Amino acid sequence: MKVSYKSLLRNFKSKPSIIEISNKLFQLGHEHELENSIFDIEITPNRGDCLSLQGLCRDLGVFFDIDHKKNIYQGNLDILNLDFKNDFIEGCPNISFLKIKIDEHISDYKGDLKNYFLDLPNKKNNFFTDISNYISFETGQPTHCYDASKMDGRLTLKLLEGSHQFDTLLGDKINLIDKNMVFLLDDNIINLAGVMGGQNTSCTKKTREVIVECAYFNPEKLIGTSIKYDIQSDAAYKFERGVDPKCHENVLRRFIKIVSEHADIKSLALFSEGKEIKNKIIDLDIEIINKIIGVKFKMDQYKNYFKKLGFSIENNSIHIPSHRSDINTLNDLAEEIARVVGYDNINLQELKIPRKKKLTNNQIEKKIKAFLVDNGFYEVINFPFTKNKSKIKLDNPLDSNKKYFRDQLKESLINNLLFNERRQKDSIKLFEVSEIYSSLEETKSEKVLGVIASGRVGKNYLDFSKKINKKYIKEIFSPLTEKEFYFEEIARDSLDTKLRDPIIYFEIKLKDLPSNIIEYNSVSDSPKDFIQYKQISDFPSSKRDLSFSIKDFSKLDQLQELIFSIKNELLKDVFIFDYYKDTKNNIIKIGFRFTLQSEKETITDIQVDNVMNNIIELALSLESVDIPGLKNEK
Amino acid sequence: MSSSKEINQPRLIKDFGAYHPINNMRDFIMDLLISFGFEVVDGPEIETEEFNFDMLNIKKSHPARQMHDTFYINKKSHVLRTHTSPVQIRGMLENKPPFAFISGGKVYRKDDDATHLPMFHQVEGIYVDKDVNFGNLKDLIFKIVHNLFGKDVKLRFRPSYFPFTEPSAEVDILSKDNKWLEILGCGIVNPIVLENCNIDSSNFNGLAFGLGVERIAMLKHGVKDIREFYKSNLDFLSQFK
Repeated sequence: MKVSYKSLLRNFKSKPSIIEISNKLFQLGHEHELENSIFDIEITPNRGDCLSLQGLCRDLGVFFDIDHKKNIYQGNLDILNLDFKNDFIEGCPNISFLKIKIDEHISDYKGDLKNYFLDLPNKKNNFFTDISNYISFETGQPTHCYDASKMDGRLTLKLLEGSHQFDTLLGDKINLIDKNMVFLLDDNIINLAGVMGGQNTSCTKKTREVIVECAYFNPEKLIGTSIKYDIQSDAAYKFERGVDPKCHENVLRRFIKIVSEHADIKSLALFSEGKEIKNKIIDLDIEIINKIIGVKFKMDQYKNYFKKLGFSIENNSIHIPSHRSDINTLNDLAEEIARVVGYDNINLQELKIPRKKKLTNNQIEKKIKAFLVDNGFYEVINFPFTKNKSKIKLDNPLDSNKKYFRDQLKESLINNLLFNERRQKDSIKLFEVSEIYSSLEETKSEKVLGVIASGRVGKNYLDFSKKINKKYIKEIFSPLTEKEFYFEEIARDSLDTKLRDPIIYFEIKLKDLPSNIIEYNSVSDSPKDFIQYKQISDFPSSKRDLSFSIKDFSKLDQLQELIFSIKNELLKDVFIFDYYKDTKNNIIKIGFRFTLQSEKETITDIQVDNVMNNIIELALSLESVDIPGLKNEK
Repeated sequence: MSSSKEINQPRLIKDFGAYHPINNMRDFIMDLLISFGFEVVDGPEIETEEFNFDMLNIKKSHPARQMHDTFYINKKSHVLRTHTSPVQIRGMLENKPPFAFISGGKVYRKDDDATHLPMFHQVEGIYVDKDVNFGNLKDLIFKIVHNLFGKDVKLRFRPSYFPFTEPSAEVDILSKDNKWLEILGCGIVNPIVLENCNIDSSNFNGLAFGLGVERIAMLKHGVKDIREFYKSNLDFLSQFK
C-alpha cells in the first residue's frame, strides 16, 4: 500500500515529521520503506482495514490528533429498482448498487480526487472509474462502475461452473474454469466478482450514467482467484484480506459527494440488500490481558487505550468496530494494547524453564557426521526434487521435469560429485543425511545417510598417489562395521564425464548403523567461531608443483614453515604431495603443490610465474635447499 | 587441523572435512536452546493439511494455503511442511503441559529466486506453562539474539501477524551499516491452537518463536547469496571448517 506523507498530513490536525510518522507506523506493525516522501507499507494479512488512507489514519490516530471525518452526501436517496438476483449469498452476503447520472464531461479534478493523482503516480482513466479508484484508496472499499447504458437485462450474482470465456475491462481474454463467482447480465459474464469487471459493461470517457457496485465478498470464496487467472487486482487484494461489511452506504454517499464536487447530479438511486451485521462484543477481562502481556495496567488505562483505538466500552464490554474483522479474542485485544504501548516498551521478565531430564540432540546423527568429517568428508544438503519416479509426486512442482520427491540420495550425490569434478577437484568425499519417504503410509519418515567418494585419497604425501576405491572406503568404515555395509562402485559409462576414477557409494538408514557409533569420540569439532566466508572465484585455477632437495635434514622444518607461511591473494592452497628420504645419498626430496586462482579474472601464466618465482627465491635462500634441474641451482 | 610428525618427516596434516554451515548453524541454535531447557521433538517433512494448517489456526482462506505457496502432493492428500510448527503440534498432542519443545529441520515453500529457495531450514520453539507472558518471551528472545550476535546488538520488536500466535512479533537487529534486519518471528501462542491440542487455554498459555537458519547463517558468515549453500561446491564447503 503506497501512501504519501502529504496525503496523511491532510488528515492530521498536527504536523508530525515524516520520521515521527515512520517510527509510529513501525510501532503499530506497519513495516514500510520510504522513498520520495511516499510510504510503501506492507500491511499484514489480518489488517485489511489498514489498506486505505482512512484505515492508516485510524491506526495513527492513537498517537496523533487526526480529523477522521470526510464530507459525504447527506441528502435522501431514492430506492433503485434494479432487476438483481443474488444466487450466491454465501459468497456475497451484503451488496449495494448506486445509480448516478450526470450530463457533462469531466476532465479537471478538484479536491481530494485531484490530490490523489498529484500525490501518487496514478494513471487517469475516466471520471467514474477514477472516483472508484480514489474511493478504494481513501476508504479501503473497492467499488465497480458499470456503464448504465450497457446494463439492459437481468443482473445475477452466481457461482458459475464450467469453462467460460471472459473479456476483462483491460482487454485480456480469460478462460474461466471450475467454479467462479461472477455477475451475469442475462447469460453474459460481465464481472469476475471481486476481481475485475468485464469489457462489455465498462465505463469510458463518454459514460454519463453509472451503476456503482459496492459489495462484501467472503474472502474464503474469493481467495486465489486473481492468482489463478494472473490478474493484478487491487480489489481482490482487499477483498481477500477483508473489508468493512457495514461501510456500503457511507462509501457510496462519499462517492456521490465527490461526483457532486465536479458535476450536477441529474438522478440518484440506491439498491441495498443483505443480512444485518452486528458488531462483535468482547467481555473485557483486564487480568487476562495483563497476564498475556506481562503488565499491571488498571481499568482506566485500558479504557483510555481502547478509546484511542476507536473501540467503545459499555459495562466492561468492548464493542468492536465492524472494520476490525481481526479482533475476536482477549489475545487480540492484548495485541492492540501492546501495539499502542509499544512492544519495545514492555519490560523483560526472566524466563526460567523447568528442566525435566537430560536433553540431547540427535546423538547418532551427530556421531556419524563427526566420524565422516574426521575422515575428510564434507556434508552437503540437496533439494529433494527429482525427475526419477517415486511414490511421492508433487501436484504443483516448480519444475515440471522434477515432479517427484526423492526416495534415495544417490542421484543427488552423484550430481554433487560431477559438479566438483568439473571444478577441477581431484579428491571428493561427500555425505548427506536426509529424510526420505518410500511411501506416504509412513508418517514417521526415515533418515538416511548417503556417502560418495572419488579421486585421490587425500592431499598429503602419503595419500596423494592413492585413488579412492572400495578397499579404502571399507578401511575407513572398518571401526563401525559390526555388520557388512554394501559399498557400490558406480559405473561412469552413463555419466556425463570423461574421468575414469572409481566412484564409491553407499547408503544406509541411520537406524541400521552399528550401535558402537554412539561411542565414537570426535577428533575434530564443529567450528565454534563463525567463519567469515570469502567469495568463491568462478575463474579457473592453475596448479604448480615444486620439488626441493634438502641436504641438511634439519632444514626440512624451516622450508615447510616458510612455504606454509607465504601469503599471496592468488595463492589458494598448498600441500606436500611427495616426500622421499634417500638415506644412501643423505638427501631429502619434498614436493609441494600450489593452487593459484584470481577472483577477478582468469589467472595468466605471468601472474603465476611471478608468485612462483617469489616462492622459489625465498626457498632457495635457505642453506642446503635446492630445486633439482633449476638452471641457477646452488 | 592437527598434525603428526616424526623427526625428519614432513608434517602430515590430517585433512578434515566439514559440516554443512546450515546444519552447523541449526545445531548451534538448537544446542543453545537445549541449554535453556528445551527438549527436541522430531516430525515428518511430509505433513497433512490438518497438522500443517488447520491445527495452527491457518484458515482455508489464508494465502499460504494456495497452490502457488505450498507444495501439495499426491492429489492434495498431503503437503510438504511449510514450517516446523506441525512438529510442535504433534509434541503438544503427545504431552501434557508444562513443556518446552524445539524442532529444527527442512521446510518447503513454492519460491525460487535470489532471496528465496523452495527448501530452507527453520528452528522453532514453544513453551507452555501457567503464567507465561510477552515479557518472558522478550527475555528469551534477548538471550537467543545476544548469544548469536553479541550482547551489544540492538533489537527492535515489531507487531506482526501469524495465525498461531497472538500477540505476534517480528524481531529486527540493527546491522553495522545502520539497517534493521529481520531475524525471527515470535508471539504468545494463540489459545485456539492450545485448545486444538487439548490444552486448557484458561489454565495454560505459551510462547513460541521461529528462526530461519539460512538468514542467521548468511548474517553470521557474511554469505550474500542464499543459493551458495546448496551448490555443494567444495570451494564453498571447505571454508567452514
